Amino acid sequence: MTTTTAHDNGHHGHHDVSYLKPKGGALVTIWDWMTTIDHKKIGVMYLFATLLAFFVGGVFALLVRAELLFPTVTNAAGDVTGQIFDPSTYNRLFTLHGAVMVFLFIIPSTPAALGNFLLPLMIGAKDVAFPRLNLLSWYVYVFGSVVALIAIGLSGVDTGWTFYTPYSTSTEGEHWQVVFMTLGVFILGFSSIFTGMNFVVTVHKLRAPGMGWFDMPLFVWAIYATAIIQVLATPVLGVTVLLLTLERVFQIGFFDPALGGDPVLYQHFFWFYSHPAVYIMILPGMGIMSELVGVHARKKIFGYRAVAFSSMGIAAISFIVWGHHLFTSEGELVSAIFSFLTFLVAIPSAIKVFNWVATLYKGSIAINTPMCYALAFLFTFSIGGLTGIYLGALAVDLHLHDTYFIVAHFHYVMMGGAVIAFLGGIHHWWPKMFGKMYDERAGLLGFTLVFIGFNLTFFPQFLMGANGMPRRYATYVADYEPFHQASTIGSWILLAGFLVHLGAFIHSLVAGKPAPANPWGGLSLEWEAESPPIEHNFAHEPVIHHGPYDFDDVVPPHCDPADYPLPEPIESDSVAPGKHAH
Amino acid sequence: MISTLAYIPELLLASAAPQTIKLGVGLSRQSSTLAANHDLLFWFITWLCVFFFVLLMGLGIFFTIKYRRRPGVPQQRCVAHNTPLELLWSLGPLVILIGIFFWAFDLYMDAHVAPAGAEEVTVVAQKWNWSWTYDNGAATREFANVANTDVPVFAVPAGKPVKLIMTSRDVIHALYVPDFRTKIDVFPGRYTTLWFEAMEAGEEHYLFCAEYCGDQHSQMAAVIKVLEPGVTAGGPPANIPWQDELYGDWKSRMAFDDRPLKEVGATLYITKACNSCHSIDGSVGTGPSWLNVYGSEEKITGGTTVTVDENYIRESILVPAAKIVEGFSNQMNSFQGQLTEREIMALITYIKSLSEEGRVELEAAPAE
Repeated sequence: MTTTTAHDNGHHGHHDVSYLKPKGGALVTIWDWMTTIDHKKIGVMYLFATLLAFFVGGVFALLVRAELLFPTVTNAAGDVTGQIFDPSTYNRLFTLHGAVMVFLFIIPSTPAALGNFLLPLMIGAKDVAFPRLNLLSWYVYVFGSVVALIAIGLSGVDTGWTFYTPYSTSTEGEHWQVVFMTLGVFILGFSSIFTGMNFVVTVHKLRAPGMGWFDMPLFVWAIYATAIIQVLATPVLGVTVLLLTLERVFQIGFFDPALGGDPVLYQHFFWFYSHPAVYIMILPGMGIMSELVGVHARKKIFGYRAVAFSSMGIAAISFIVWGHHLFTSEGELVSAIFSFLTFLVAIPSAIKVFNWVATLYKGSIAINTPMCYALAFLFTFSIGGLTGIYLGALAVDLHLHDTYFIVAHFHYVMMGGAVIAFLGGIHHWWPKMFGKMYDERAGLLGFTLVFIGFNLTFFPQFLMGANGMPRRYATYVADYEPFHQASTIGSWILLAGFLVHLGAFIHSLVAGKPAPANPWGGLSLEWEAESPPIEHNFAHEPVIHHGPYDFDDVVPPHCDPADYPLPEPIESDSVAPGKHAH
Repeated sequence: MISTLAYIPELLLASAAPQTIKLGVGLSRQSSTLAANHDLLFWFITWLCVFFFVLLMGLGIFFTIKYRRRPGVPQQRCVAHNTPLELLWSLGPLVILIGIFFWAFDLYMDAHVAPAGAEEVTVVAQKWNWSWTYDNGAATREFANVANTDVPVFAVPAGKPVKLIMTSRDVIHALYVPDFRTKIDVFPGRYTTLWFEAMEAGEEHYLFCAEYCGDQHSQMAAVIKVLEPGVTAGGPPANIPWQDELYGDWKSRMAFDDRPLKEVGATLYITKACNSCHSIDGSVGTGPSWLNVYGSEEKITGGTTVTVDENYIRESILVPAAKIVEGFSNQMNSFQGQLTEREIMALITYIKSLSEEGRVELEAAPAE
């Protein structure tokens, strides 16, 4: 079990250096990165690309919130106040905010950036199953992004990120923008499918000797469930936007009633992908959560199997709840079926939250930036999840559908869930990825601003939604003004928080203290590797001696036992010490 | 007129209005027979969420403080699995959620299926206005300012169910009345229905478009005004403005508009939402301004020019795509079948009144 392969030995010397070490001069290094098939470099490249997309989408969001600071009013003298952008520009801004955030940032962010970097490390592999396909997926992502950016350059798209027909197929003067945008989405889908296929095979075939399915870290389970959804759902999106493009360009009637099509059919197609896609966004965040809570509370995840199976349960049920986006469009029977199924999908998420809270019980809880983000995730994701009950309830949805209540709900899930977890995960694995520590005080300051800013931005949106404020409005009746103003001020605090984080990361790269191999005392395999890892990840193929969360029995690798004291062994229980000595 | 509508300022000013919510954290006022039942479920879910949220966060914060890391102190050994507990927190919420499903489905059926004998109103949505036609052929001629735009005011009777039979002439819209707690999408090429029964005569309610439909989506509003359903013996009830003009029941007060053409045109300008694209002050919108347009020479996409006269205006209303003024795109729906001959004439007269050349013609012409 402890032998290493000849292949490993044969590469000693060449590959014992950090993956970040430049191979030569600037051009050589750039060429090395551009042609790399190292999952770590591809993960870092994805991280930078998706963070750039997050910045672009964030600027659009700030402009949207700025426009909504005041309602547009024409006074008696005919002067217009409260308007920064005309409605047509505003509609482009919110469309691009949604499209960039969904397709360019949140879908690839955690799986393709953190997942790429961590998945092989966590299962003790040298790389993903298909390293070249991995690099191709990054280039396809960049190509798809460029095609989508052409649409933005050509004065933008105003269809909303959902491209609902017949609006998206009939708007005059935006012909090629819509075509380029949907084509970009089509191409980006392939990037997502490639990543998903790669990860499914990697998890099945490349686990280290001795690592059974239930020895995998829960992040791997989450990424695996995500990858299955990516492979099965994304082709439907590709088909959908292709049909839309065919209708737009060749006037073939699929969705436009004027051409004999059915606009509701489009919505079914679109959400058949885009609802599972919601779980492509949140499942990896849930996986990060399990790692943060386990490592920083030094506790075995409560109900490991329930958490693992709930990821698979979410992946399965996510395919049969798409119709809950159509409660105001469809008949009674369809709505009833989808409402019932929607309530079922709530249960696995609830199980996870209960298990994370139970994991904290009798832990040894470190208060640092990753753990604060984990606790913040519990707070914001719980609100996001619980407010889903309102929307799954048919009669209540008739009132809340397409209001700001929905906007608040999905931002609490997507941003309060996926992005908060992503930020926690970046802080948690930053030392591993770049070999440098970040400044903890700066991290906590950034966290505080993000947490306050996020809640101030989005909680008022629940209130105005419940009071009837429809979404995608460039202006509004004055009654909603106080809510919009609180929300806009919140967006500025949020910006300040992100800038603090950005500054702290740049400071860390330039002047951060060198990171130890295992700064948090983690037990999953990535903490056995160096910080940053060597090119082939591990000097010897790792062999599994313990589970990823056996904090009660195992001193973490590379750590001083005095820093991580173990509880007394249980004398009557022969399993725990036996595991230790394995 | 619309200022009486504002419900949130009312509660911010701690007004005694009985049906509004406090401090703006709840719902808009309950103004349909569906609203009270809806709100009961809404608040049940709210308190359920508050309970679980406080439970989870309370435990999370308590554990974090109690079990915070102290140097040299190990975590305590404890079980990492408890089947009864896990079954409790899996099946318990499931039972509650299934209960909510049936409750919400029951109310949804109430909201979806109109009671027999409801007043039927045909609703046509298009970018960017709502038009209602009552079964006697009447349409509205009153308007109000909402979200900086003049929008139509529609009358509904108090205490009688009203069923809207809705369709769209272009893209998807959604008819939403927050005070009634209901909305339904409005599609091109098919009918959807929505019903409600307003409770209090004299109230006014916002009607919003809830499905994104383009540039003026946020101004595609209307006002619903609740009237006494009929005339009581001894004449019209007091305090209802429309009752002053004409006699009869609530619908007939909106019937045939016999005012002078220019006034009818000025009303149609708003109720048919010409104002969402065409200004009358010279500012450029989605379409050309009507100020001084009559009698002018306009460049047409494709290179020709046209003089704006009665025939060009008529063609632009009925076949908007025929001649597009340079610099604008073809955004307008045909109003074929939407306007009577007299109404088309009324709009032409109104446009004439907005330019010097037109006014000269109008003064020279004999009065109608």
